[in-house]
Order: sequence, then structure tokens, then C-alpha cells
Amino acid sequence: MKTNPFVMLTWSSLKAYFRNRGAIFFSLLVPLMIMGIFGLINFGGGTSSVNIGVVDQAHNQVSDRLITNLKGIKAVKLHTGSLDAEKQQLQQGNRDLVAVLPASIGQGSTAITAYYNQGNPQNSQVAMAIMNQFVDRASFAFAGVSPALTLDAKPVQSRNLTYVDFLVPGMIGLSIMQTGLFGVVFTFVQWKQRGILRRLMATPMRVRDFFFSQLVTRLTTVALQIAVLLAVGLLLFHFHFAGNLFYLLIVGIVGGGVFLAMGLAISGASKSEETAAPIANLVSLPLMFLSGVFFSRSSMPEWLQTITQFSPLTYVTDALRSISIDGASLWAIRTDLLGILIWLAIAAVIANRLFKWEVV
Amino acid sequence: MDVVTEQAEAFPDASTAGFAIVVDGLRKRYGSLVAVDGISFRVKDREIFGLLGPNGAGKTTTVEILEGLRDADDGRAIVAGIDVRKEPQKVKGLIGVQLQSSAFFDGLSLLELLDMFAALYGRRVDAMAILKKVDLAEKARSQVNKLSGGQKQRFSIATALVNEPRILFLDEPTTGLDPQARRNLWELADSIRAEGRTIVLTTHYMDEAETLCDRVAIMDHGKILAMEPPDALIQRLIDKGFKGDRVERSANLEDVFLDMTGHGLREA
Repeated sequence: MKTNPFVMLTWSSLKAYFRNRGAIFFSLLVPLMIMGIFGLINFGGGTSSVNIGVVDQAHNQVSDRLITNLKGIKAVKLHTGSLDAEKQQLQQGNRDLVAVLPASIGQGSTAITAYYNQGNPQNSQVAMAIMNQFVDRASFAFAGVSPALTLDAKPVQSRNLTYVDFLVPGMIGLSIMQTGLFGVVFTFVQWKQRGILRRLMATPMRVRDFFFSQLVTRLTTVALQIAVLLAVGLLLFHFHFAGNLFYLLIVGIVGGGVFLAMGLAISGASKSEETAAPIANLVSLPLMFLSGVFFSRSSMPEWLQTITQFSPLTYVTDALRSISIDGASLWAIRTDLLGILIWLAIAAVIANRLFKWEVV
Repeated sequence: MDVVTEQAEAFPDASTAGFAIVVDGLRKRYGSLVAVDGISFRVKDREIFGLLGPNGAGKTTTVEILEGLRDADDGRAIVAGIDVRKEPQKVKGLIGVQLQSSAFFDGLSLLELLDMFAALYGRRVDAMAILKKVDLAEKARSQVNKLSGGQKQRFSIATALVNEPRILFLDEPTTGLDPQARRNLWELADSIRAEGRTIVLTTHYMDEAETLCDRVAIMDHGKILAMEPPDALIQRLIDKGFKGDRVERSANLEDVFLDMTGHGLREA
């Protein structure tokens, strides 16, 4: 083992890499920080409850029962207060809807006035629908008639997907890209400038031993990042993981290969870190925002969706999401895998063309 | 200018025996610049051969071709008995190379780096013994960036010794070193030659070439202008009636410097 060039190069490079505590810390901290920020902001907002304010002007049995029933609805966060106070909350955007139960409630036909927030139509519409349904049901109950039509809802086994479930695989994809691109670009440009690569080339080292040792080192980092992001997602953000860890790792490795090759191409084309950094950013920034890492691509204009579906990071995040959310098999994500492999081939060819061992 | 050269001599093709390096009509151009212009020379086994010349003379290109780092356009170069243009990898396994600016991976100790370099030759070495040879045993567990300039150069030579090379290439090994460290490196070069290895040295310091080299080749504009033992070249110049503008004394300023500050290495 100790005389095998590949084994020793990999071992040396892993040792050197993991002794650099700062780099390790940041390669784990940054994705966690981004995930924390986005997870807390909860951009998806899909399952956040609607805020309904109730102004009880009756304070009788009927209004009490109404309020108790409203409180029983899971999706509703119920607030009570005076009319002025609740309307102010509505204006500040803290309520999606404010319903006024007049003093005359329970005595004949009564109108319940509902103020709603026009600024957030999505949520106020949900609040309106809930209130409508609720008022209807209450009316029937008061009238003592049973409704002619009822909805017999049957629960189906389904996981309650949250934004975090969308975000975690996206963050894994993002980490894979960042580690691949930046981890390689800066180190290799430096190694090239300092003559480290030249020194290695003066030994009978085989080029493929060297590149595969670097590949293994970076992919170890990627695997570590996947583990940490998954663990934090599961423990802190109630992330639901339905898939196969091994499949996730395979996508991570193949996807990591794409960005490593891109990183090698960039470091091959640049003479210094000053030129490498902007190129790496020029590649990574558009990919980061156009590949559905933080938001679903479905909110993009259609022409943009058409283009961005071919982004390497889209293939990677889509594949990761299918695995973690739908529990997809490798066969089910074969289109994404094919896309990743094509990108891998393209990036490898470019890297092979552009990579130089020394600064000329 | 009198051009003294062995270039005209035709080498009998077969006789590479007794020679560490045989170069014949080597040529390399970069665009319109002719870096190496059809040079021929031989380096004998176990000699210290100096390649001298101003910057841009073609020394580095020549050495890089011999090291298998660069291919020539034309000509023949037999290094350690092997045609380097045909089998560069094989030659790389038989030689040791110390490059002008060879840095090493951060984060690894000297011992670990030597083990890694040995593995690149498919070998296992007693790394500590090599470090002792270059006087770096105390720094075995340090990293390269903690070493002084002279220590770095000695470590660089250590990495070039892991494969027990037949030929050692030293590219300006004493540039930037203080007189003590320079003398120390000369002693190291001598001891390596005493082990039966051949050394090819490039340097800008003529006193270094005069002290260390059995023979030197003076290059300029891609050609070898002269190739002889240093003493013979100096005698030739004197015979031509050359008079230096200073009187030669039996000591120089460096001797004064070393007499006052001692030969001990300054690299705590």
C-alpha cells in the first residue's frame, strides 16, 4: 500500500486536506448557514398557517362556539381582539383576514363582515375559503338542516412536504457544485503558480493517479457535506428523507465529477487566482440561481425554464430531490443521470484541453 | 571571441558507456525564438557538470529536456542510458530533480512528503535517514513552510534523492542563500557525488561553478560557447593575455565574512 502511487497520493492529499481545519470548517459552515437562513425564512410558505383575527362583539354562546370551532382548524392561527386593534394588525400584514362577529349573531340572519388583506392575496384567499366553508357549515347547523351534499374526505398516506424538504436536496446540490468548482480552482491555480505540479511531473507519476487521487479527496468532502446537511436537516428542520442514501451518494459523486472537471478547466485556463475567481463566479452564480436550488424553477418564465432544464446543477438537484422526496430509484432518475453524464463528458474534454501543469 | 567547443566532434553513436548523459544536435524553438540551437555534449559518470550562462541562454530549456519535462524539436538525448525523447517516464525514474521554485503541498510533514515522493517511484524509503543526510532530522515533523531558505533547498534535494538517482539535476540551488548555507550546500553536493552519482548543476555564481564543477559548459543564445574544466578555461583566458582589473589575493570578502561569522548554519 505504501508504495502504491495512487494510494499514497490520495492518503497524503486527504491528510493535508483535513489538517486544514479552516477550510473544512467553512466548507461545512457555509452550506449550513445558507440552509439555516433559507430554512428559517421559509420562502416556500406552502404550509404556513393563515392568520385570522376575530372581533367578538357578541360574547354570547353562539360566538363562543364559533371561535372554539375556528380554533379547531389546524391551518388557522386564530387571534382575537378589538376591531381597531385587529384592523391595525391587518394593515400591518399580521392578519390575512379579520372577521367581525356582530352583537346580533345567533338571532336570525346575521352578516359576518370580513376584512381581508389585499397585499397577500394568496393567503387571504385561503382564509376566505376557510371562513366561507365555516360560515356555511355553521348556518346549516343553526338552521337544523343537514346539507344536501357532503364531502366525505378520506385521508391518503402522504408526507407533509415542507420547504425544507425542497431546500435540503437543493443545498446538497449547491455544496457539490461549490466544492467541485472552488475547492479545485483555487488549490490548483496555487499549485500551478508555486511549481508544485511541475515538481510532481518531474517524477514518473502517472497523470491519472494524480487526478483520481484529487477526485477521491474532493468527493470525500462532498460525502461529508451531504452527511452534515442531511443530519442538520433531519434534526433541526424536520426534513423528511424518503430515499436511498446510497443513491444520493452516487448522484453526489457523479455530479461532483462534473464540477471538478469544470474546476480543472477553469484552473487550467487561468494563470492566477485573480483571473480564476471571477471565471468561477461567472459559472457558479447563474447556475446557483437558475437551477432550482432555492426556488422551484416552475416560477420562472417558460422560456427560461426551457433553457435552465439543461443546466448541470438542475440535473443534479432534480435527481437529488427525486431521491430524497419521492424515494426514486436510479432507473427513475435516468434522464437526470444521463444529463449529468453528458455534462461530465463535456467538462472532462474541456478540462483535458485547457489544463496546464505550469504557468507559461 | 575564441569559440572553444567540442561540438564539431562527431560522436560515435554507440559509445554511451561511461557517460551519464549524451546529447547530440539538440534543438528546441518557441515560435521564432530558438532556445536551444543544436547543442551536443556529454556528461561523464560521477562528475559534477556545470551549465552556465546568462538568463535566456537556454540552460533551463536544455535541462528540462533532459529531465523529460519538455520534448525537443530535434536531436538526441540519452540520459542514464535511455533515450529521454522516447521514454521520458523511464528516465524520470532514474534521475532526481531539484527545481528552481519547487514548493510542496502544505499540511504535510517532511517525513510524510518523502514517503509520498518515494511512492511516486514505487519505492519505500527510510525517510529519516534521507533527512539526516541533508541535515534536517530535527525538522522531520515540521512542514516545509516552517523551513529557512537553505533548509528548503536541502529538503528539495532530499526529495530528489528518494529514488537513489543515477543523475541529480540541481537548478540554481544556492540562489538567495547566505554564505554559510551556500557552503553547506556545496558540501552536500560533494557528498552526493561521493556516493557515485552524477550531478548536473546550473548556476549564476561563478565561484560556485569553480569550486564544485569538474567541467562547465558556457551557453549563450542556445549554443555552447565552451566546455572544459574551470581551471582550463581560466588558463586559456590568461594565456590570451587577459589581465583582471584587480589584483588576485589569496582571500576574498566572502572568506572574511565567513572568518568573522563562522561556518555554522544560521537557521534556528
